[in-house]
Amino acid sequence: MTESVGNRVGVRIDGVSKRFAHRVKGEVYAVREVCLDVRPGEFLTLLGPSGCGKTTTLRMIAGFETPDAGSVHFGERDMTGLPANQRDIGFVFQNYALFPHLSVFENVAYGLRVRGRTDAEIGKSVGDVLALVGLAGYEQQFSGQLSGGEQQRVALARAIVIQPSVLLFDEPLSNLDAKLRVQMRQEIHDLQRRLGITTVYVTHDQEEAMAVSDRIVVMHQGRVMQEGTAEDLYHRPSSQFVAQFVGRVNLVAGRVTEAAGDTARIAALGTMLSVRPSPAGLAPGAPVRLVVRPEAISILRTDAGPLQATVESRTFLGEKIEYVVRCAGEALQVVCYDERRGEVIPPGAAVSLRFGADAVTVLPATLAEDHRDA
Amino acid sequence: MTVIRRFRQTTRAVALFGFALFASLPALAADTLNVYSIWPENWAKPMFEEFEKATGIKVNFVRFSSGEALARVIAEKNNPRVDVLFGGPVETYAAGINEGIFEPYKPPSFAALPPRFRQADGQWVAIADDPLVFMTNDKFLKENNLKAPASWNDLLAAPYKNMLQMADARTSGTAVTRIFSVLEVNGRDETKAFDYMKKLRPNVQLYTKSGGGGTLPVGLGQAGGGIFFIVDALDTKAKGYDVTISFPQEGIGTAAEGIALIKGAKNPALGKKLIDWATSPAMQNNFAKYKINFVPAHPDVVLEPSLAAVLKGAKIFPIDAEYAGANRKRIVDRWVAEVLNP
Amino acid sequence: MVMGLRNDPAVAIAVIVLWALLALFVVYPLVMLLGRVLTDHGTFTTAGLMAVLTDRHQIRAFWNSLLLAVLVGFAGTVLGFLFAFTAARERLPRELITVIDAVVLLPLVSPPFTTAIAMIFSFGPRGLITYDLLGLKGATVYGLTSTLASEVMTYFPIAYLTLRPLLAAIDSNVEGMALSLGASRWRVFRTVTLPLTVPGLANAFLLLFAASLADFATPLILAGNNFPVLPTQAFLQITGLFDLRGGAALSFVLLFPALLVFVLQRYWVSRRYYVTVTGKGAGQTPFDSISPDARAALLAICALVALVIVYFYALLLYASIVVALGANHTLTLQHYRTIFTDGLKAIRDTLIIAAFAMPLGGLYGILLGYLVTKKSFLGRRSMELVSMINYALPGTIVGIAYLIAFNDPPIELAGTALIIIACYIFRYGPTGIRATVALLQQIDKSLEEASQGLGAGSATTFRRVTLPLIMPAFFAGLGVVFIRSMTAISATIFLVSISWTLITVKILENITELSLGPAAAFSVLVVVIVFVVIAIIGRVLHRFRAPGAVSMTNLLGG
Repeated sequence: MTESVGNRVGVRIDGVSKRFAHRVKGEVYAVREVCLDVRPGEFLTLLGPSGCGKTTTLRMIAGFETPDAGSVHFGERDMTGLPANQRDIGFVFQNYALFPHLSVFENVAYGLRVRGRTDAEIGKSVGDVLALVGLAGYEQQFSGQLSGGEQQRVALARAIVIQPSVLLFDEPLSNLDAKLRVQMRQEIHDLQRRLGITTVYVTHDQEEAMAVSDRIVVMHQGRVMQEGTAEDLYHRPSSQFVAQFVGRVNLVAGRVTEAAGDTARIAALGTMLSVRPSPAGLAPGAPVRLVVRPEAISILRTDAGPLQATVESRTFLGEKIEYVVRCAGEALQVVCYDERRGEVIPPGAAVSLRFGADAVTVLPATLAEDHRDA
Repeated sequence: MTVIRRFRQTTRAVALFGFALFASLPALAADTLNVYSIWPENWAKPMFEEFEKATGIKVNFVRFSSGEALARVIAEKNNPRVDVLFGGPVETYAAGINEGIFEPYKPPSFAALPPRFRQADGQWVAIADDPLVFMTNDKFLKENNLKAPASWNDLLAAPYKNMLQMADARTSGTAVTRIFSVLEVNGRDETKAFDYMKKLRPNVQLYTKSGGGGTLPVGLGQAGGGIFFIVDALDTKAKGYDVTISFPQEGIGTAAEGIALIKGAKNPALGKKLIDWATSPAMQNNFAKYKINFVPAHPDVVLEPSLAAVLKGAKIFPIDAEYAGANRKRIVDRWVAEVLNP
Repeated sequence: MVMGLRNDPAVAIAVIVLWALLALFVVYPLVMLLGRVLTDHGTFTTAGLMAVLTDRHQIRAFWNSLLLAVLVGFAGTVLGFLFAFTAARERLPRELITVIDAVVLLPLVSPPFTTAIAMIFSFGPRGLITYDLLGLKGATVYGLTSTLASEVMTYFPIAYLTLRPLLAAIDSNVEGMALSLGASRWRVFRTVTLPLTVPGLANAFLLLFAASLADFATPLILAGNNFPVLPTQAFLQITGLFDLRGGAALSFVLLFPALLVFVLQRYWVSRRYYVTVTGKGAGQTPFDSISPDARAALLAICALVALVIVYFYALLLYASIVVALGANHTLTLQHYRTIFTDGLKAIRDTLIIAAFAMPLGGLYGILLGYLVTKKSFLGRRSMELVSMINYALPGTIVGIAYLIAFNDPPIELAGTALIIIACYIFRYGPTGIRATVALLQQIDKSLEEASQGLGAGSATTFRRVTLPLIMPAFFAGLGVVFIRSMTAISATIFLVSISWTLITVKILENITELSLGPAAAFSVLVVVIVFVVIAIIGRVLHRFRAPGAVSMTNLLGG
């Protein structure tokens, strides 16, 4: 039980779409031509703001919704038309969905009873899994008597005790307080590693996504925007949306002046910046957005250098200091880790900025996206 | 807040109006006569309207079946709410005499009435006579190859099983008259009479709360037949239902319909005027006009020809009011115990 | 009693006035009833009660009553559940739900005889259904079966209205969870949906049990002689045999099952709810929780029942516009003419009485509901309990108790409208109390504290803060009082008088007097009036749209 199960399967979604009737807008797409490939044993997270289609996608994997187009496969098996009870999944709901009329033991035992296990097997399995989630001794409690974290563990235990082929989480931590959330996400992560069950996890919290996942899929308006590891998304966003949604970011308008070899020159912030690698398909003269993470900017106490700026505000946050500086008319966020203890750069000070190597990502400035994310 | 203010104003207005309503109640009784009518509204109402036309006295009435009316008058003995009890078989009145609820009064017609239409002391006086009849559904008779019943024993025949409706003696004067009819044809031999009624019991589909309650089911064919007052039976026929009226050869009882002044009445003078009028041809001449098929009690009123035709050749005997009054409660109790709930 | 209220004269006065009213109109009549049953000319005796308890006919009537009530409770709950499940789970179009609601509401807002009359016409040796349609001969319409069928048709909407919000409030994820764990739809229903509905089912059963136990109108028309039931026996004992004491004793026997039901409901069922019904549904299940076959079967059952109801009312309407149903089917308005001339007094009386009972009942409901929820005073819980007594008891008991208590001095109310109004207020006002309590429990205490913090006394706070917030309960409560004022008979049949009569009593009289046309016309009139009033109140409630505003129809359920 505590070790990984043998029958690992991948989950493949091909061109899945789902429309809903909307009261005002008529028919709208909740999910539009989404393709995903979750590898056996992988922990994949669907990340995005509310309404982006991530939960609908998850529910289609679970079988709670039937796609209007496209297919869902577990391994080689086509699951598209099957109801949830024939998919061999474990599902964890945001509101836990514990059976209020059953004890903790019976909640966890439910799936085993459905599968016709003997009482002895059930007693053993339930005992093991409750111990695993740290709830030994809670067997006879009812959900009303448990704290939020305890309810979440019961929900988790209930989902994994049946050793499902696929484990699905729908914002499982959003009803918990901040501290518990951090603790639980670690536990979920560790448990998944130990069991090796292919997992799809839905959240709107990018930090949570980064903490638990092998791979993250960012969704927006029913479509997949980008998929990759946390590092990919953070350092190499493929769109302004992803750049802004994953972590904090400065978006600076610029224009390509020269694109040759692996370096491009871009006019921005009143100067010329060299970026590597050169963005593909951008001809000189094309408008772009430069993506610069706040921690990739260094502040130098000198008025020399190409990027002159003025400190507008300074916020001391313990391990780090946050500045807002104005450079060529644009307000930029800068995060400095307080390595030089106690050094104070007061508001109003004239400074110069330095961008770290490879710190700048160049995205084409499409009008539509500017408009949408303004 | 305007809602609240409006609400408060409304509450106040309602409270004031309500107070006025209750305070004004007793005043209502001053120039109108209050009556419990045992006659249904469609007969009582035209009579009281005629009375108002003739005397200018308005009659305020409510209709109850005879048992209910009697019960009410007895209940209100200490503080009567009505002046006159109107209509209903006189055996009901006989029962009331024992309770001392009537004020004896002899109207001008008293002397002209045959003795069975008046209580010797004037506790009640009759206004009409109402014989019982057998009423059967034509279609039912035809389907079962039956002739209209011509004997009490005809009703015991197999096709009538669970097909008769008649009144419940607990609430209906019709039923009491019927039971006393059975007693009379059996020579007041209670054992024989109750034997008959017990034999009839399986044929009775339903004992209805009021005397006329079974007429509609018989008219519709939901029941095959029953025993009713002629006035109800002819009414059913008049409504267009195909029914046959017949009489048993052994004879069947008739009940005089009475009127009486309530002891302690608030408007005795007005009440007496109604009794004077109702016991005289002044009212009874109106029966034909309103198609009320009662036999008039006053000898001067001519029986309406079509009614006379129905009654021709029928053997009808009066129920002895003294005997019925004296034994009513006992007989009804016995009926409930032995016939209704065997 | 009013300790701790010295600082709050308004509350103290309200509490004293309410206790006085409760003492007069709830406790006093019951004590007088008890006195009548247990004394004879001033000496204590159980002879009267024993006479009833040992009379085998009455014992039979008692068991018949219980049997009927259990069967009605069971069958009505099942039927109500089927309807509720269909309405909550089948993803039916809104319009269809509205139609179902309206049809289901019909029996609930009709005078008590309507289904019974329709049954009489439809079944039996020459019934429209048994004879004309099915060709059956010798069918009988009187007895347990037809009484049961008629009462189930009349009261199952109570179960529907109790169960539908409950089913709608079940967290769909819980069912989804069970499904995802591999359970079949049937197993999900059996192991999750049904257990979660059990308290609602128990509650519906008890409500139906109580309704049937209290119903004397249906058995009066349909039970016949072979199936006597206690409320009808008590009625006949009093109105027929003038045995007030015997009738009182009979009704007294009914007290025990009625109180048992009340206690069970209050202390057992209410604590077993897993699902909180907040008024807004949690939405429909996200998956098809019903298989296509089951779906079709459910729809068919509901359609059939709805059809029967519609047929009953069509028949009633038809009876009101033909000269004589079954004999002369010429169309006529004469019956409507009759009720608006001869019956005008009854209509006027009923409307006047309803018009008084309505605001007073609504006021009584919110005042008492407010005090027992928001104020602490000694005897608070017992006040709430006492206020529920007349509501919980069968109407026959209440009517007889009022008749005994208020017929003679010192408190002589018989013959006035007040006795009927009081009967309605204290019998049907509790619906408003419960609505108020439910609403107040959802209103945050801080709102009132804020008002008091600004220097307002409790009277001002109530008037300016709480009252506007509980206006929905007020209107819902007065709506129920109005509807019941238009349709009730079991208690008030004992209270009508020469001065004040009621449409329902008139209908009963017409039915027993062959005047079916006017009876049908009266019934149609009542249904129309009630639907109009429900529509108006529905609109008012809509305007007061407060959080947790209760809907009229749901209140009728309990």
